[in-house]
Amino acid sequence: MKISPKIVIFLIIILLSIAFPFFAGPYQQSIAKNVIIYMILALSWNMLLKTGQISFGLAGFFGIGAYASVLLSLKLGIPPILTIVLGGIVTSLVASAMGMIILRLRAMYFAITTLALGEIFRVIIHNVPNFAGGAHGLILPGVIFDGNGLYTYWLFLGAALFSIGLSYYFDKSKIHLALTAIRDNETTAKVRGIDIFKYLLIVFTITAGMQGIAGGLYAQSFGFVTPESSFSGDFILLPIAMALLGGIYTTAGPVVGAIVLGVISEYLKLYIPYGHLIVYGLIIVIVILFMPNGIIGALYVKIDGRKTFGKVDQPNE
Amino acid sequence: MKKLVVLVLMLALVTVSTTLVFAGGQEEGGSDQPIKLGGVWPLSDITGEQGSKAAQQAVDEINAAGGVLGRQLELIILDSEFKPEKGAAAIERLATVENVDVFLGGMASSVHLGQIPILKKYKKLTVWTGAASHLAENAIGGDADWYFHLHPWDYQQGGSYVDGWEDIIGKYSDIKVDKWFLAYEEGPFGSASFESSKVLFSDMGDFDGESFKSAAAGGGDYKAVLQHAKESNPDIFLWAGYGADALPLLQQSKAIGFEPALYVGAPPGWPADFGSSSLAEDVFLYGMWAPAMNDINPVSKKFYDGFVEKFNVIPATYFAPLSYSAVYLIKEAIERAGSLDTEALITAMEQSKYKSALGETITFKPSKVIKHQGIEGQKILQWQNGRQEIIWPFEFSTGTPVYPFPGWENR
Repeated sequence: MKISPKIVIFLIIILLSIAFPFFAGPYQQSIAKNVIIYMILALSWNMLLKTGQISFGLAGFFGIGAYASVLLSLKLGIPPILTIVLGGIVTSLVASAMGMIILRLRAMYFAITTLALGEIFRVIIHNVPNFAGGAHGLILPGVIFDGNGLYTYWLFLGAALFSIGLSYYFDKSKIHLALTAIRDNETTAKVRGIDIFKYLLIVFTITAGMQGIAGGLYAQSFGFVTPESSFSGDFILLPIAMALLGGIYTTAGPVVGAIVLGVISEYLKLYIPYGHLIVYGLIIVIVILFMPNGIIGALYVKIDGRKTFGKVDQPNE
Repeated sequence: MKKLVVLVLMLALVTVSTTLVFAGGQEEGGSDQPIKLGGVWPLSDITGEQGSKAAQQAVDEINAAGGVLGRQLELIILDSEFKPEKGAAAIERLATVENVDVFLGGMASSVHLGQIPILKKYKKLTVWTGAASHLAENAIGGDADWYFHLHPWDYQQGGSYVDGWEDIIGKYSDIKVDKWFLAYEEGPFGSASFESSKVLFSDMGDFDGESFKSAAAGGGDYKAVLQHAKESNPDIFLWAGYGADALPLLQQSKAIGFEPALYVGAPPGWPADFGSSSLAEDVFLYGMWAPAMNDINPVSKKFYDGFVEKFNVIPATYFAPLSYSAVYLIKEAIERAGSLDTEALITAMEQSKYKSALGETITFKPSKVIKHQGIEGQKILQWQNGRQEIIWPFEFSTGTPVYPFPGWENR
């Protein structure tokens, strides 16, 4: 049996990722975990973007997943790993209920509504102090795996690989064709018999679940939730910047964007402690200005000699 | 295939560069190596920026005077960016890459909550200047004998305000405080202030309040809450928010003609040029230090003069002298311990009696949960002629209160 070189390369990457803690210390693992959180968010945002819908609901679903995970641990004593999965499921359920209503909106109206949803979730949490800790938030008696960095890293890596796999599946399956058709021309897609609402709801529910899982991972690894940190706007802006910088509409783009920005962010602050955020912002602006297709898009253009990359002329990975 | 190869090469490059760049390769400290202090602050905020600079100032002063135990001090400063995950990663780096001997910092309870599991992992001597939420105290727990907290917890702050106003009312009989209104930012800081104040001030008259969205969190429109406060007609109006709220609150109070007899602000740090605004005049504030302390405290004067000379800017937040004090507390503890052994350092820190720039002589006592709590209260101050005068505690007083608040005419 002949094994495809692609599979060999992917297996090597996975093995290297699994072995990463053996040649990197706790600090590097910590950075890797932070990168993974944002990578999952960037991937999920990009998956929904493939339908043509821009969502700003990342922080809202991230926060729901985080709170669901912590509450399930505290109130029902469910083991942390299980609460992370259940947190993702709870988030998916909330998203599918919300999706029934808001997925009838399009473009700016959809984007603004998803942004508002996140804010509404945060306000609700604020106003149920007896159940969810109110403005103070909640703390867990301990962090996942009793703070064992190795196991925590592998758990995060597992979630990252699951997310990459899911995004890759969406690129390869029939769903990809439906989503691309919806994005390119919704009316034509409808005429061709594509159930637009069904596909949008599927993607919205799944991506929200991924965001909820990221929230659960975050909450369980740091041992707390607060409305301000769990529903933070950082979980909207940074993943979007990462996806744009890496290259949208591909699975590799958000992955590369998250790694590059995550590493640059840490690198800059070691050398420019009082001004790194300005430089960081400038880098994002400059890269997006000069590489509108992102890093991956620029690579494709360079390798294939294409002049364009994106909505019409994009690779089928 | 070519695409994949490029992608793999790029990922490998990033992985290798990450490992190499962040490896650092710091050697363990020998007798000729500096003693390493690792500090984490939010450097884009004035509290963190000036706090870290003041800590560096203290380190430089100590080194200029010969160091500690014949060794120089080295302060490694990292930015928490006000993000729990960044604050936690910074502690990991300080512990494992920089091999610091002591942790210090910081600011913001939510960031600290993210750092606490990592601090517990390493159990190095930790001297923390910020994080007032009792949730952070609960997360630290009663077993952490390596943890020394300088800033008062939220309930201690509330208690000190009650003591302060009771003393002021007792001393200045014309001041009347029967009806309170607290406008608070809706985050943990403001909400905690409201909840604790509601309980603490319950014996001192009617207490009412309402939340607002801080300008620091994207808000900035306070008209509704100010209008409700005006309708409530309180004797004392307090607001608990951030520095970014200070001037807009005053401008909008003026716009609607809201002139309570006592106007009190309680942000953790004020805008650097706040005192130069005519609107600031006669506003009360809570804080732990003001430049007026220089008149009565030589340590404060030394800190202030040194800070201005070194950074060419006036320290505008009490986190600056607090961080400065933290470094001196550590320095004295190392001298007493005679080594960097954590157990010896803890014992030496417990013996601290440091006359600080904040006025207080800092010692460590148990609080509700933790074993080592330093300062237990805030001070009541008032903006007068462009500077903050200390009104209470009376032992640090540099001025008498202007009462009632003169209103907005001619401002």
